[in-house]
Amino acid sequence: MTAATQYRKLYWLALLLWGALFALGGRLVDLQVVQHERLQQLAEENTVRKIQREPVRGQILDSHHIPLATSLPAKVICADPTLIGTWRQPVAHLLAPLLGMDEAQIAERLVPRLHEEDGKTNVSKYVVLKRKVGLDTWEKIQESMASLHAGVRETRLSKQDQAFFRNLRSKAVFAEEDQVRVYPCQRLAAHVLGYVANDGDQSGLSGIERSFNTSLSGIAGWRKTEMDKRQRELVAYRDQDVAPRDGLNVVLTLDAGLQDIVESELAAGMEKHRPNSISCIMVRPKTGEILAMATLPNYDPNHPGASAMDALRNRVVSDIAEPGSTFKIVVVTAGLNEHAVTLNDIFDCEHGHFAFAGRVLHDHEPYGLLTVENIITKSSNIGAAKIGIRLGQDELYQYIHNFGFGERTGIPLPDEAAGLVHPVKDWTKVSIAQIPMGQGIAVTPLQMVMAMCAIANNGVLMRPMLVSHLEDSDGKIVAQYQPEAVRHVASPAAIHDIVTALKTVPTKEGTAVAAHLDHYTVAGKTGTAQEVEHGQYVQKFFTSFIGFFPADNPEICISVVMDDPKDGHYGGLLAAPIFHAIAERSANYLNLKPDIDTEPVPSQTLTRNN
Amino acid sequence: MARNRKNDSLRLKPALTAVVLCAFFVALGIGFVWYKEQIDLLGRQIKDRETTLTKVQRENKIRGDQLATLCSPVALDARVKKLNLGLGPPAFSQVIRLVDMPEVAPSHDQRQAQAAVSERNN
Repeated sequence: MTAATQYRKLYWLALLLWGALFALGGRLVDLQVVQHERLQQLAEENTVRKIQREPVRGQILDSHHIPLATSLPAKVICADPTLIGTWRQPVAHLLAPLLGMDEAQIAERLVPRLHEEDGKTNVSKYVVLKRKVGLDTWEKIQESMASLHAGVRETRLSKQDQAFFRNLRSKAVFAEEDQVRVYPCQRLAAHVLGYVANDGDQSGLSGIERSFNTSLSGIAGWRKTEMDKRQRELVAYRDQDVAPRDGLNVVLTLDAGLQDIVESELAAGMEKHRPNSISCIMVRPKTGEILAMATLPNYDPNHPGASAMDALRNRVVSDIAEPGSTFKIVVVTAGLNEHAVTLNDIFDCEHGHFAFAGRVLHDHEPYGLLTVENIITKSSNIGAAKIGIRLGQDELYQYIHNFGFGERTGIPLPDEAAGLVHPVKDWTKVSIAQIPMGQGIAVTPLQMVMAMCAIANNGVLMRPMLVSHLEDSDGKIVAQYQPEAVRHVASPAAIHDIVTALKTVPTKEGTAVAAHLDHYTVAGKTGTAQEVEHGQYVQKFFTSFIGFFPADNPEICISVVMDDPKDGHYGGLLAAPIFHAIAERSANYLNLKPDIDTEPVPSQTLTRNN
Repeated sequence: MARNRKNDSLRLKPALTAVVLCAFFVALGIGFVWYKEQIDLLGRQIKDRETTLTKVQRENKIRGDQLATLCSPVALDARVKKLNLGLGPPAFSQVIRLVDMPEVAPSHDQRQAQAAVSERNN
């Protein structure tokens, strides 16, 4: 071989190498420069994941930090229909009992569906089978799916079939993080707590869940990271990692123990008197804190859909009705405060028939001459009407407004009604006589109990307080709510007089002897109001009793309201015994100091003397 | 001869340099791979611990909620009824109230009498 031939071969080899080098360089430029954007996006789609980090919804706690609503981790069960293929029916058969779903429904969802995205038609690889599935159920699903087999020795199958069964067992059904809202005390305080939507957001639909939805929800975080081929996170390549901020806990003024007492006594009253509904509110008059609030029929917020729509309504704040005789506290307090009357002033109650402005007003019993105190004791409609007439329209309207009627109380619950108080210009001639006895206006049970609390609180109307504070998951207080006085409604002297009158109601001479307590002085007022349907009075009644004790230093104010009881209608006979039962048990629970001296057994009173 | 020896030493030096360089780059490569492997290992350990922490925190929350619920008056009341224990809050007649009397200072005469007694004892 000559040198020239060798050089030629070498030349061609060099040329080939240079050519290859240029080709590689060209490809490199193509990949790194020309197609850079597209390929980078493709690479990121394959590896980079932005994971949403969901916050845990805050709890709703009672005043002793007993959880009334909490969120537990759960799973959203999903499936990839492309990995299930023809095994839809066996998979549906396996999952149906675990998910508590219909087999046919699951099989139908597992049918692969086409969808268009960016002009391309793709087969859907994601279908949600069920949300809010417990972790234990998810473990059972994993075990069941792992036990699926082809029915023959899989090593005999083709590699493609082997891969299919491998994917079917491990990847076809998968789970995503979720949480489920749980109400551990079930029906307890259901109307106060409310409930949440059964979706990923868990947005509150009612009660505190709705009013404090923003605080309870928290703020989502995120993590931008990379995954390997087996979809395991490569922690070293975490780019952004923002932790979610969990929702705040809402601490209520409610006491679960008192709420339980109230609900159990209401249930007994419901069974005994068979009303359409029965409600109770327990308030601490000095602060306006609501200690218990209940309405029956109620519902289980874990399954709100299982109850009738009627049971979902919080009647305490959303229903309005004529208050009846409990409203006499407003007109008598107004009369006393304006010095229009004194407790000892005497009114002629016309023996139960009083013709006024073309109408005849009645008392439930014929009374002759009654003092103002006795008008309250006996609950005389005619007496109250005459006090109202003496007071005058403008003064009466002003006091109705001052006691908080005709406007929302501002309780942090949705759908609160303002009530119905007509302006004086719309009053009829008989209004000045009707309104003092609780007709011609409409109020919510909450407004009525807050008005009574104003009397119990020495004439200061408080705003109802349902939330004590908001705290984070570590118990650090983020927002503290304080008792808020709305306005002064009457002088201490007038309040002293009206309390004196109200103390006579739960006595043998009064209308509610059943409300009498052995160890505490009770001040209260009965109410019986005829219901209105389609603008006409019907033979159905709202029956109520509102009272507070110890009368001279009130700790608790309790209102019991029944809608259409079937075995009577007088508040003193039906609502007062329920008040009595609730008050006695609550006083015992709160260990309130009795204000009535009972005969002490010598051995029971110990004196410590150093 | 001497010239030949000089040439031999000249050939050995670049070879040695090349070997050292190669060894250096190989060591660098192995070190880099080991370092990456360590990062990956630590990443997996971090992930495992994060998973464990989440699981433990979740269980702690569940247990905490269970405890609080079981301690609630509602649950205790239901349990007492279920087990028919006959327990309940005490009736008013069963409550003993302690009257905390203020301590009364001894009068001048009492103090003199006490002083006389202590003097006699001494």
